[in-house]
Formats: sequence, structure tokens, C-alpha cells
Amino acid sequence: MTAVIQAALNGAMMGAMYGLTALGLTLIFGVMKVVNFAHGSLLMVGMFSAYWLIRLTGIHPYLALVIVPPVLFVFGYYLQNVVIKPVFKAEGQVREPLTVIIVTTGVWYVLDNLALMLFGAEYRTVRTAISNKSFALGEFIISIPKFSGFVVAIATAIGLALFMRKTKTGKALRATSLDREAANLMGIDQYRIYNIAFGLGTAIAGIAGCVLIPFYYVYPSVGVVFDIRAFIIVVLGGLGSIPGALLGGLVIGLIESVFSQFMASTWTEAIIYAIFLIILFVKPSGFFGHKQDW
Amino acid sequence: MKNGSITTILAGCMGMALSAALFAAPALAADKTVKIGNVEPLSGPSASVGVQGKQAREMAIEEINAAGGIKSLGGAKLELVYADSKSDPTVGVTETERLINTEKVNLLTGCWNSAVTYPATQVAERYGIPFVVPVAVRDTITERGFKNVFRIAAKDSWWVRDQFRFLKDMQDETGVKLQRIAFVFENGDWGTGFAEKWRELAKKDGYEIVLDEPYPSTATDLTPVVTKLKAAKPDVVMLVSNAADAILLTNTMAEMQVKPKVVLASGGGHADPKFLENTDTNALGIFDEVEWNTDVNKPAAKPANEKFKKKYGYDLTGESVDAYVAMYVIADALERAASTDPAKIREALAATNLTTGPGMIVSYDGVQFDETGQNKNAGIVIVQVANVDGKPERVTVWPKTARRAGYVPAFPANK
Amino acid sequence: MSRKQLDRILLAVVALAAFGLPLVVTSPTYLQILILLFFYAYLTTAWNLVGGFAGVLPLGHSVFVGIGAYTSSILTLQYGVSPWIGMLVGGAIAAVIGVIIGLPTFRMRGAYFCLCTIAFAEGIRVMVENIDTLGPLKINGPRGLLVPLLKDPTFWDYQFMSKLPYYYIILVLLILVLAFTWFISRSKVGYYLAAGGEEPEAAAALGINVANYKLFAMALSCFLTALAGTFYAQLMLYFYPKGLMGLDLSFEIAFIALIGGRGTIAGPVIGALLLRPLNEFTRIYLSDMLPGLHLVIFGLILILVMIYLPKGLTAPLSALYDRLARKITVQGEAK
Repeated sequence: MTAVIQAALNGAMMGAMYGLTALGLTLIFGVMKVVNFAHGSLLMVGMFSAYWLIRLTGIHPYLALVIVPPVLFVFGYYLQNVVIKPVFKAEGQVREPLTVIIVTTGVWYVLDNLALMLFGAEYRTVRTAISNKSFALGEFIISIPKFSGFVVAIATAIGLALFMRKTKTGKALRATSLDREAANLMGIDQYRIYNIAFGLGTAIAGIAGCVLIPFYYVYPSVGVVFDIRAFIIVVLGGLGSIPGALLGGLVIGLIESVFSQFMASTWTEAIIYAIFLIILFVKPSGFFGHKQDW
Repeated sequence: MKNGSITTILAGCMGMALSAALFAAPALAADKTVKIGNVEPLSGPSASVGVQGKQAREMAIEEINAAGGIKSLGGAKLELVYADSKSDPTVGVTETERLINTEKVNLLTGCWNSAVTYPATQVAERYGIPFVVPVAVRDTITERGFKNVFRIAAKDSWWVRDQFRFLKDMQDETGVKLQRIAFVFENGDWGTGFAEKWRELAKKDGYEIVLDEPYPSTATDLTPVVTKLKAAKPDVVMLVSNAADAILLTNTMAEMQVKPKVVLASGGGHADPKFLENTDTNALGIFDEVEWNTDVNKPAAKPANEKFKKKYGYDLTGESVDAYVAMYVIADALERAASTDPAKIREALAATNLTTGPGMIVSYDGVQFDETGQNKNAGIVIVQVANVDGKPERVTVWPKTARRAGYVPAFPANK
Repeated sequence: MSRKQLDRILLAVVALAAFGLPLVVTSPTYLQILILLFFYAYLTTAWNLVGGFAGVLPLGHSVFVGIGAYTSSILTLQYGVSPWIGMLVGGAIAAVIGVIIGLPTFRMRGAYFCLCTIAFAEGIRVMVENIDTLGPLKINGPRGLLVPLLKDPTFWDYQFMSKLPYYYIILVLLILVLAFTWFISRSKVGYYLAAGGEEPEAAAALGINVANYKLFAMALSCFLTALAGTFYAQLMLYFYPKGLMGLDLSFEIAFIALIGGRGTIAGPVIGALLLRPLNEFTRIYLSDMLPGLHLVIFGLILILVMIYLPKGLTAPLSALYDRLARKITVQGEAK
């Protein structure tokens, strides 16, 4: 029983961080109606940014949280503006242009392999002020970097939800998400909103990068491991839903951690896919998705 | 579906015919060199091991050529031709075909991944081109009745056999009793192959298997596995891990305060040059089985390692030493064959008995192939990560004859 | 000369050229590259039945390649059944599984369908990796299956010492699947599929049971895809789940289709003609210099084609051909 509770605690912490990696993906999908296959690569960029920042300056990883996301916002903003926008324009008013999927896949290849050319294939970790630290909660061991990741993930999700509700930009994002044409008519520049959405999504990947670096390693194709999981999470939670991403992440994290106490952990992967498919058939819009999104 | 689209195919096919004409351009073979084709993972998931092997080969070839090349062939120089397998069997086969038919290589080496080595050696066997496999440990590679495949490294049943010998020897030596054994391994070709043999031997030696746990090598979190390990309370944990998971597993075990008496790894990720850098003191006490270690008791080993480290910035590893030795085995065979005819090279390789020379930096006494093409002397050492002068370092502990002078193994590593 | 005649003559020339190509290309290296090119063109054409004509984007077709390879190889290894027969059995199993997957997923649209097929494919791959034996069948988990190299193979063994038979087998398969696609696209089924793909609501309003036609297309597509799986197993004589059933292959198929032109007959062939050599030659010439450079270039080309030719290469190429053909036919008539 101790092991199961320990596993559940760990699963919840990891799950929240999976949710964080999926948050940017769901935001981009919600607004742009595009599955961003480059999302894992953006996470990789975030991780490398955090890695080099901490490695070269030795700053506390919490401080990196203030520096990396804004930089990544700018990166994402211009990535969408330069690379993805032209395809949208070429496709005109197609609701879910498939060509954009291919473009994001192209971006994924380019980013991952640029990283390979620049940094080599090796695995890198950096020892931060909180790495390998843990505290005891009764007989359970809580890892400090994972616990702070958990807190940051939840704070980010709440922050993003508030931003979408309270600010003017957030409202414009939501309007575009609900009805592109109507938003256009209201004088909202569709492509600028896309830039912002993509920038925000990338910035969140940057936050995830900062959170993962104290206990995880980075290498050029690290994004791929998180990618498929993030896809499952967003569908589970409902494409475009912020609380859905967090909840989906928690569910996946808990299944992965708790189920593997009762079976070989290679089977939990299969179980995740099975549960995913079952939920999809029973409630195709996911936990919080809107009917019109599928 | 438009009318034009059916016929567009024609335009495309014309283009193909054109490019085919380009394909057919003959490749000019230069004389005075012996071409060695190397199929290695230079990009993709195993790129870092591929590059290690590449650098070790380059150093060996430089040395051989600087020493006058192949004298029986009029001082012919060795030339390396590389092909990137991306760890993908399909690509590996295409590249092997290319090396044989277009680059006209005289012999081949590679491929590290067993999954690529299987089909690539099959291609070489078809053409009768000798294929020297430095590393790819699956037993079956040399057990298919092939004539042209030679392997330098030990095969996996030997690795496992020596792991259990080590455990027995150390228990006899220290009087520590180990009973409960746990297996944790990556669920690929390599890990599952080891685990199959572990189960047999553990049963034979009377251990109680308390955990038998494969994990996906792409796992983002190994805490669930470590939690399970903690609950199983093993005396010995046997591991097979690739680079990333070895780091993750070691750091997670430290964090969760899982301290079995003995942790015994199987090279690979644990032998990666980056492993100690990424785990630091968390790795202290771990035993690791490898083909080679820097403190091996051979005169040529130390200078070779120093030269390599100066050149590339890290120590030689088991994998890179096998690649290095392979070049010397090839040079020796060519010298005796006095020909670039594949059949003659094959005969010379089969008759190899290399015991001296600058290439012999391995822990064992000589390279000799049995009738299946397996190096029958291939030896293994077991090292322990220990604190030497305030830094974690890999120290040879087994076999006892090879143990670093003055070192007392920490067995059990955790009391 | 009429346009129709010109088309026929050119088609005949190309077919002859394809059959005669091994006379010019004698190097097994390039034959191997051509074999793989045809293999991908074949897979993409089979994929196109669903991904092109039915208007959805399946990203899990590698699973059916895997089913084909596993079925025929297990039958050969354990029961001595010829791979030629195993190939058909594999196709049938793939068709059934394809329908099982299609039943629930075809209700979904766009991104959901796309991600769902990924989940199905990955789920099946993970299961194969976890299963050593399934009843009497030895699947061998992540280690994959090794088809033994025969000393004196006969045609019945589906194993050949030279590349040539493999070349002709895949060429014939490709021609068959292309002809079949052409036939389907001209038939009622093709028309309904296209209608369902472009305007599902309108098609439904006309009383067309789009779902049934989609399922039919899916079954066909999976059957044909599995045939290629057997071909792969017999060509390589070794395969394992991660390599054969992973997402890389599924993605590559979709790339070829989208770059060539989805929903066109020529698209898969043209896409393969561009991407395969690009893939092979960038790797051969560039991977030695700087690891990763070849994939950066590959990615850039994907992006550029999508930005400038979002409908793929087929549309501008067929426009070009039309213009040329008009000139030729007009000149011919003038004479």
C-alpha cells in the first residue's frame, strides 16, 4: 500500500508536468485548429535554453523561469509569422488545413536536427540548486524539483485561464477560437492572434523546459518522447481546453505510475492507449471539449 | 482525379529514367588502398555510440597507415568509408548494398545495433564480403551458419554467464550472502535478450527472483519502476539500460533512497562517457560489466587511451575499443592474405590469431575466431564506480587477476 | 494524334521504360534504391485510397505493414506456409483490423481522426512489443523476427539471390495498385468517396452512406498495405516492431502523399520520386559531413513545398503536361 500511495504522489506530480507540456499544444489547437507536431521540438528548445542559461550563468532554476519563457514567446511569435502563416494564407478559409500539419512536421525536423548539429547527440543534465533534493512526508519521499514542477504547472494553467478570461488579448484569442470569420469581422486580425497563440504556446513549452531541466536530461530528440503523450492528453482533456489539459495530464501520470505497481511498466503504455480510445468512443469531445471541435 | 493527373505520372517517370541514367555512372575504384565500409548509427537515437566507434576507427587507421600500411600489398593504405544507418535496418541494408556495389569496399564493419547487424550481415553473406562486427551482442548474429561474419565482442550469453560468475566469486570472497535478485531492463532487443538468460542462471544458482521488470526505453519517468524496486527489497539489482535511462534510473534510485547491496549493470548506457558526468556521486558503488576499462593491465592500453582522450576529449569505452581492435584485426588479416580478394581476406580472418601489436589493448590475450566467427577469447571485466581522489571513477574489480592494485571492492556497496 | 492517343503512347513508353530499367541500372545499390522507391510509392498509393479519396488523414498505416510482415513470416517460420499465401492471409487480417479501427474513428473529423489513428497504431505496436507468444504463435516481442537466409531459394520461398525479382515483384504490385486506384476513382465508389471527403454533410443529404464507402476503402487500403509488409519481410529478412510499426513509416507515407498530391493517382508516385532519392542522397552525401544536416534540408524542403505548392507537386506538373500535350496534339493535327 505504501508503494501505491508513493506511486500516486509521484504520478500526480509527473502528471501535472505532462499537463504543462500539453498546455501549449491545446492552446495552439484551440485558437488555430492545427495540431502542432513541432510542439515537442519547442519543448526541446525550451529545455536547451534553460540548460544553457543555468549551465553558463549558474542561476537558480526558478530565476530561469522568468527569463526563458519571454524569449521563447518571441521565438514562437516569429516562427508562426514567418513559417506557418504563409501556408494558412495559401489555404484560405479551410477550417483545419492539413498542409499546416506537414509544415509543423517540417519545423520539427529542422529544429531537432539543428540542435543535433549544434550540440551533438549526447544527453546533458545540469546540476541545479534543487536537483536531487527531496523531503519526507511521513514515510513518503517527495522530490523537490518535481514538487515545484507540480506547483508551477498548476499556477501556469490558472494563470493562462485567467488571461484568457480577463484580458483583451485573451478575449480576442477566445473569439478567434470560437469563430474565425466572425472575429475577423469584428476587426480582430486573425494572423496576429495566431502569432500570439503560437508565441504563448511556445512560452509555455519554455516554462515546461525550465521545470524539467533540474531533474531530467536534454538531447536533440527529447521532444518526441513527450509529443505523443501530449497528443493523448489534449484529446483526453478536450482539444482546446485548458483545464482539460491539466486533468488529462494528471490522469495519464497517475495511470502510468500507479498501474505499473501491478504490472510491467511496458504494459501501462498499452493501457494508456486503451483508456484513451475508450474515452474517445464514449465521449469523443474529451473531458472538457466542445462538441463543435471534433 | 482530373484527367491530367493520370498522365502526370508519365512526366514523373520520365524524370526517373533520367535519374537512372545518372545512377548508372560507374564508380572508379582507386588502387593502392583497401576500402573498409562502416555502417554505423551516425544520426538518430544511437548517434552518440556511432560517433564513438567512428572516432576509434579513425585513430586506429591513422596509426596503421602511419606505420606503413599493409606491407604485403605494397604499403597499401586503409581507407574508411562511412554510411549512416540511423539505427534503421532498412537504411542499414541499403547502405550495405551501396558500400559493396558502388563504393566497392573490400570488407565491412559495423553496425552496433543488433537490429541493423542482422540484415546487413545477411547482405554481406550473399555477396561473400567479409563483415567484422566489433559490437552487436546478440548470440544469433554468429549462430546463423554464415561464413563471412566475424565478431570481436563477447556475445550476450557470455556477458550474462560472467555476471553470475562475478556474483558468486564476490560472495565467496567477502562472505556476503545474496539471495533476493531483481531484474530491471530496457524492453528492446538487447534488454529482453539478457533477461531471458538471467532467469535461467538465477534459477540455477538458487536466487529468488523478486522483480522482473522491463521498462520502455523512451520512458519519461522511471520513478514507478524504482518505487516497485524499493518495495521488492532486493539484494542484487541487475540492469540493462541505454544512455538516457541509465542516467534517469541512477538519479531516481538515489532520490528515492533505494540502496540494494549490489547494483550490477551491463555496459551500454552505464558505460557511456556521459554517464558519470550526469550522475556524479549518485553512481558510486555501481558495478558495471564492460569489455574494457582504462586501467586494464596492458602496456599499450594507457598510451592509446591518453592519445584518444587528447584527440576527442573523453576516455575510450568498451565499444570504441572493440572498434579500434577490429581495425587491427583487419590490418593483420590483410597482411596475411596479401590480397584484396574477399575470399582470401575471409580465409585470413578465419585464421586470425592476434596476440601482440599496438592494437592489443583489450583485457584478454588474443583475438581468435571459432568456426562460427565468434572471437572465442573475448573477455569481459567488471568495474566499480568508486571515489578516487574525490572524483567518481571506474575501477576494475573482476576478474581478480585484473583488479586494480590496492583496490578493495565495496561489496556490498550499501550496508 | 489525339490527346488520348498521346496519353496511351506515353503510358506505354513509361511502362516499358520501368520494365527495361534494370537493363541500364545494373548496380544492385541503385536497384535497391529503386525497389524502396517503388515500395514507398506502392504504400502511399494504398494509403491514398483512404487518406486521399476519403478525405481524412490516417497516421497509423505502418501497423498494417507490420501485420503483413508478421503474418506471412510466422506462417513461414512455424508452419512452413509459403509467404505468397501468407501475404494474402496477412492482407485479410489487416482488412479486418482496418474495419475494426475504422468503425469508430470514421465518425471523427480532422485532428481527432488523425490523433486517433496514431493512438491505435502505437497501441498495437506496444502490445506486439509486450507479447512473446500469443497462444501457439511466436511473436518474439521487441526482438522481432528473423527470416532465415536460404541457400537455394525457389520462387515459392519468395526469396531471391538477386535484386531483380524483387524489383519486378514490387513494380507489378505498384502497377496493379495504380490501375486499381484508377478503376476505383472512375467508379461509383470513387465518386461517393470523393463526395464524402469533400462535403460529408451534402453527401449524406443525398442519401449516400458515406461511412460504408469509407469502410470499404479502409479495408482495401489495409489489405494492400499488408501485402507490402510481406514484401518487406522477404526483402530484408528481418524486422522488429519499433522499426516497422513505428510512426516514422506512417509519417513518411503521409508526407509522400501530401507532397505529391493527395487524392490524385499520380501523386504518390511523384511524391516518392522526389522524396525517396532526396532522402537517400542527402543521407549518403551529407551525413558524413555534419550529422543532422540532411534532415534539416529534408525538413526545409517539406516546408517550402507546402508553402508554395499546398496542393502538392501533381497539380503544377499536370498543368505543365496539359500545356505540352496541347502543343503536341495541335501540331500533330496541323500536319
